Amino acid sequence: MATAVIPQIDQSLANRLAEIVGEKRVLFRPSELLAYASDALPSYNKRPGLAVFPGTRDELIAVITELAKDKIPFVPRGSGTGLSGGALADNVVLIGLNRLSRVLSIDPENLFAVVEPGVVNVALTRAVTAYGLHYAPDPSSQAACSIGGNVAENAGGPHCLKYGTTTNHIIALTVLLPDGSVVKLGGTDGEQEGYDLVGAFVGSEGCFGIALDITVRLSRNPQLVRTLLADFMTLDSAARAVTSIVATGIISAALEMIDQATIVAVESSIYAAGYPTDAAAALLIELDGASAGLERDVATVEALCKEHGARTVRIARDDTERTRLWQGRKKAFGAMGRVSSHLVVQDAVVPRTKLPEVLAEIHRIGERNRIQICNVFHAGDGNLHPNIPYSASDLDAVERVHTGCREIMELCVRVGGTITGEHGVGFDKIQYMDLIFSPDSLATMCRLREVFDPDRRSNPGKVIPVHSCKEWHAAPSAWAKR
Amino acid sequence: MQGVARGAVGLGEKVTAAIIASVAALRDQITEAAASGTTLRISGRGTWLDAGRRVDAAETLSTRELSGISGYVPADLTLTALAGTTLAEIREATRVNGQWLALDPAGSDDGTIGATVATASAGPLRTMFGSPRDLTLGLEFITGEGTVARGGGRVVKNVAGFDITRLLTGSWGTLGVITEVTLRLHARPEADETVAIALADTAHVGRVRQVLRNAPFTPYACEILNASLAKIVTGASGATALFRLGGNVEAVAAQRSALAELGELVDVEVAAWNRFRVAEPPGAIVFRLSDLPAELEGTWNEAGSIARACPGTLIHASPSRGVVRVIVPVTGDAIAFLRMSFPRNAPVKRIGERLPGQLWPVIAPAPTADRISKGIKSAFDVHNILNPGILGEA
Repeated sequence: MATAVIPQIDQSLANRLAEIVGEKRVLFRPSELLAYASDALPSYNKRPGLAVFPGTRDELIAVITELAKDKIPFVPRGSGTGLSGGALADNVVLIGLNRLSRVLSIDPENLFAVVEPGVVNVALTRAVTAYGLHYAPDPSSQAACSIGGNVAENAGGPHCLKYGTTTNHIIALTVLLPDGSVVKLGGTDGEQEGYDLVGAFVGSEGCFGIALDITVRLSRNPQLVRTLLADFMTLDSAARAVTSIVATGIISAALEMIDQATIVAVESSIYAAGYPTDAAAALLIELDGASAGLERDVATVEALCKEHGARTVRIARDDTERTRLWQGRKKAFGAMGRVSSHLVVQDAVVPRTKLPEVLAEIHRIGERNRIQICNVFHAGDGNLHPNIPYSASDLDAVERVHTGCREIMELCVRVGGTITGEHGVGFDKIQYMDLIFSPDSLATMCRLREVFDPDRRSNPGKVIPVHSCKEWHAAPSAWAKR
Repeated sequence: MQGVARGAVGLGEKVTAAIIASVAALRDQITEAAASGTTLRISGRGTWLDAGRRVDAAETLSTRELSGISGYVPADLTLTALAGTTLAEIREATRVNGQWLALDPAGSDDGTIGATVATASAGPLRTMFGSPRDLTLGLEFITGEGTVARGGGRVVKNVAGFDITRLLTGSWGTLGVITEVTLRLHARPEADETVAIALADTAHVGRVRQVLRNAPFTPYACEILNASLAKIVTGASGATALFRLGGNVEAVAAQRSALAELGELVDVEVAAWNRFRVAEPPGAIVFRLSDLPAELEGTWNEAGSIARACPGTLIHASPSRGVVRVIVPVTGDAIAFLRMSFPRNAPVKRIGERLPGQLWPVIAPAPTADRISKGIKSAFDVHNILNPGILGEA
C-alpha cells in the first residue's frame, strides 16, 4: 500500500468538503483522525489524511464527485467493526457512512426493505419485527456493524449455515461509482436477466464503489426455535459430532463450536453463560422452523451428540436461557479482551470433514509458536475463527502471532479450504491471496474491479495484491490494445 | 472420460492429467480463436441450443468431452465436476449417498452441469434451494483471451476475492467458458411427497401465494399449472397447484394439513415433476413474465390472455417469486399475436427464453446494454468472440 503523501489532501480540500457537509463533519487535524486509524483488527494503524461524514445521499454524491475531480483515493467505512483491516485509510480520504442510517421503505408482503448503508444490522431487524420478520445474516458484531459494511464484506454469522450469507439476502443496489455517477443493479420485480451485478458487488470490499441504498430480503421469523448446548471431553469428539449432524441433512440454523480456552474466558467475564468450564469443547446448536417435526430433529441431534461422547446435552427451556447461551457465544471476542490487551480474530474455512485433523494441527501450531489459540467458530460450515490473545508491546509475541497466523492459513489451504469465510481479505489477508489464486485469476479479478473503478481509487490497496494488477498491465495481451 | 469413478473421493493421477490436457486443449482453441477473431458458439451437449438470442458464430466449441466428477466427499456435501458432466451422472453419483444436487431445470437430465450453471437454469426446486447462483461454490473458466482463471473455492463458505463465481453463473458463456464447477449438495429428505390441489379461478391462484407467504414452512417446490399443462403433468382436467413437500415425516404431515385450507389434496407420484420438466413441445416459444410476488394474480391473468389467443399454450407460475412462465406452440398466428402484444413498455417485465428471431426485438431490451455490463464483457472477452449476441448486442 502506498504510503506516499498525496498532495491533494490539504486544507483546501477540507474547505471544499466542508462546504458540502458542514465544517463539523470534516476531520483534518491529525489528533482528530487517530480514532479512525484502525478497525476492529488491532494489528495495523494507518491514519487517514482526512475524514468526511456526509449526512445525506446528495452530500455523499457531491463529496465523491469532488474527490473525482482530482482523482483522490478514498476508503468507505461503515461502523469500523471489520476484522480484516478493510476500512484502513492510509493517508487517503475516509468516507464515514454511519450517518446515512435511514430505513427507507419496508414491503412486508413482498419481503424486502430498502435501507441506507449506515443502518445498523440489528436496527434493521428491529424495524421489521412488528411484521414478524427479520434480517437473517447476523455477524457477532450485529449490534454495531452496518448493512453497507455487511454488503462490502459479504458478512456471515452463526445463522448463515441455514439462511446463507449477505449475498443471499441482497436483491438490488443503487451504487455510487468512484467517478461520481450512479448505477442501479438488480431489482425487486422477480427475475433479473443479464449478469449478476448485485452478486459481483456484494463482497467487493469497498473496491467497486459505495452503495447508496440497499434492497434486502427479509425473512419470516421461525415458528419455533430450539437451542442445545452439548459439552464434550475432547475437541476431536465434538468435531466428529459436527460432521455427523451435517451428514444427516438436518440443516441446523446454527452449529457453533466453543473450545475450553474460550469457555473459560466467557465464564470468567460478565457474559458468563453457564458453559461447563471443565469441558474440552461445547457445541451450541440451534434448530428452527415450523414446530411440526422440529422436536424429532432435536432428538436426532441430541442422540448424535451423545453417540459421539457428549457428556450432557442441555436444551434451553425458554427465551431467557436461550439468550444467555447465545450471549456467551456472541460476546466471546469481548470476553477474550480480559485475557490480553490485543486479540487477533482469525477467519478461515476448511471442508467440514477435515475439522478434527485441522483443530489438532492448530493446537500444535499454538504450542510450537508459544501462542494461545482459542477456537470459537461456525463449525457447521467449517468456518474457523482461531483467536489469538497477545500483547502488542511484546514484539517477540507479535512475531510469533504473525507466524502462527500464516501457518494456520497455509494449513487451511492445504486441506482444500480458503483464507476467509466471512471477514474478507481487506489489508490483512492480501499476503495469502497467492496461496489460493493463480496470477491469472487475480488479474481477472483486478480487471473486474477496474470496470467499476478504473483508477483503483476506491479502497486502494485492498483485496488484490498490487503486483497482480501490474503484471496484468505488463502482459503483452490484447488488453493493452483496448 | 465418461463414467469415471462415481462417488469416488478424488480421482487418480492418470485421470487428473487427462483432465488438465483437455482444459489445455480448450484453452488453446480459444487462444487461437482470439488471435484470428473467430467467433465461437459455446455448447455443452447441445440440448438447449435454441434458447437465448441468435448467435452468429463461425465455430462451435463443445465442453461435452470435458466430463467426469473430479471430487466428491459425501460428508462434506460438496461435489466438483467438469463442465461436460451430465446432470444424470451427478444424480446417480449422489443418489447412492442419499444426496442430490437440488436443481431441476426444464428439459431432461441429459444436459450438462456446465450449461446449467452458465445459464443459471433452475426449475421448481428453486423455491426451496435457490438457483445455480446459490448452489455454485466455485468454478474454473477460460476467458475470451484464453486465460484460465478461477473464482470461489471448494468449501461451502468463502469470501476470498471478488465474486467471479456469481458473475460467471448465468452469463450464458459470454464472459468465459466454464470448465469445472464445485457445487453444494443437499441430503435427501426422509419424506418427499407431491400433492395437487385443483384451483377454481384466479383468486384461488392468489390464495395459494398468500397461504405460502404466511405458512411457517417453505415447500420444496410449488408450481401453479394451467389446465393444459396440468393435463400433461397430472392428468387433471383444470388448473392445478402442484406442491413438493420435503422434510421429516411429521413436518411433511403438518405441511399437508396446512395446505388443506386451499382445497382437497390429491397425492401425485414424484415422477410428475419429470413430466413437468419435459412438457414443452419441441421448438415452442418460451418466455417468462415477472413482477412482485404480491402481483401474481395480475401476472397470471396476463399469461391467461395470451393462452386464450394462442391455443395449446402451457403456463406455470412460481408463487414465491412472482414469475409466470409461458410456453406457446409455434404457429404463424401465435407469432403475429405476440408481436402485437409485446409492447416495449409493458407493466409486467418479459424475459425471453426461446423465441423466433422476429420476437426478440420486441420483447425486452438487451439485459447487458448498461455501462457496467458492457465494461465487464469487454474485460472478459475483449474480442467479443464468446457467444456473441446471445444476451443481446453488448
